Amino acid sequence: MDSKYFNNTHRFGRIGVIIGVAFMLGIPAIICTVYGVWPKDLGTLIAVASGLLAVFLPVNISEVLSYTPILGSSAYITFLTGNVINLKMPCAINAMSLAGASQGTDEGDTVASLAVAASSVITTLIIALGVVLLVPLQPLLSLPAVQTASAYMLPALFGSLFLGMFDNKCGEYIAKGKMKCVVLPMLLVLFINLFVMSTSGMEGIMMLITMPLIVLCAWVLYKHGQIEMIPIDKNKK
Amino acid sequence: MTFIEILNSKLLYILVILGIGFILVFSLLTLFRSYKHALDIGMDKTKIKGIITSSMIFSIIPSISIVIGLFTLAAVIGVPWSWFRLSVVGSLMYELMAAEMVATGAGYESLAALGSAGDPTVVGTVMFVMSISILGGILGVLIFGKSISKNINKLNAKGPFAVLAINVLQLALMAVYFPSMLTSGAVYIAVLLTSAATAIVHQLIIKKTGWKKLGNFIMADSLVVGMLSSLIWTKVF
Repeated sequence: MDSKYFNNTHRFGRIGVIIGVAFMLGIPAIICTVYGVWPKDLGTLIAVASGLLAVFLPVNISEVLSYTPILGSSAYITFLTGNVINLKMPCAINAMSLAGASQGTDEGDTVASLAVAASSVITTLIIALGVVLLVPLQPLLSLPAVQTASAYMLPALFGSLFLGMFDNKCGEYIAKGKMKCVVLPMLLVLFINLFVMSTSGMEGIMMLITMPLIVLCAWVLYKHGQIEMIPIDKNKK
Repeated sequence: MTFIEILNSKLLYILVILGIGFILVFSLLTLFRSYKHALDIGMDKTKIKGIITSSMIFSIIPSISIVIGLFTLAAVIGVPWSWFRLSVVGSLMYELMAAEMVATGAGYESLAALGSAGDPTVVGTVMFVMSISILGGILGVLIFGKSISKNINKLNAKGPFAVLAINVLQLALMAVYFPSMLTSGAVYIAVLLTSAATAIVHQLIIKKTGWKKLGNFIMADSLVVGMLSSLIWTKVF
């Protein structure tokens, strides 16, 4: 990747994130000043925030470490606009799949950014529309059928997403037998879910654990010829 | 002014509109930058437009589910702050948990009890805690984003196994979420399979008819069909 573009993109992302944080903290500060409602004492603020930070900080950091290798430079806008797993990650993965590109390449990084940015624009506009139409929309969106369908959004999303992962195209190669490397980690997570504890809410941490395991399995299988990397041109011949 | 009056005040609306406006501008700038770069590296215009269209269409349904979340949150912490929180970083589950913890931390039985009491002094604490406790992700990407991307790019140039290692990282999503869905009940599994089947039908149509543009709609269509199928599966199981 062109180093000038790479550096500019990360600088642009960082500036965006810093401005976003300024809004997140600046809005409460202005409201507190204007209405005289600053937190009474720092102790209560720290006590409540530390409880939440204890839960969310490790999860948030593990999500950054595990999702950024897939998202590339689109991680900035992804983490700034949120809804990472139910919107931005599937968009980025789908875009790379449509383009036949992998992360770590100029094309893969660019299409992931295109997809996440397009998704963010739509989400921002739809939520704004939801605010404007709050009163007329509420009865419609509160229907039991809509509530039920919404509760099953994640499996509906992952059904097609998982299927897309079976595509053996791997950048400029065909990775024959690629899916074998996910079997052992998946069985391990299934075992934990069935016999140890539910991993719900700890997906970021679980991904951080399974990622090196998947790469290790891929390495062993690759060394033993169970996964073959065939250059696409050669494959065509 | 009471708790809910401050949280529904004109000033807060104005500040939130500015914040959301920034998010929209940042998303559009990211989109234009990526689009221009995609053309610069020689990507096909039709392919780029296909990726943007696919991402936008796919994002509609998950965005509507965020609007549903907005109704829930707006009832307890007012419209503008809920709007901001769900558009920047947040997720419904986190926002509700954070607001509830502030209410109990301030000595109220629940968030609803705090709302009924109308105590304005906790407004600052609610807003600050909700912002501070979720900062881990964006601060994480600010610190680690560039170095992770740099290492992934470097790794990609180190031969076929490195390409494979980067590509299989996204399989961690499958390794973590698939077992967790398998153990979430029959409806979850049925919805997952319906979504996957919809994607397969799309792929077959593309293969038979050569209608490649349909590829841009696979994920959106599978999501809608999968979610709708939950209405049937909940009656069956």
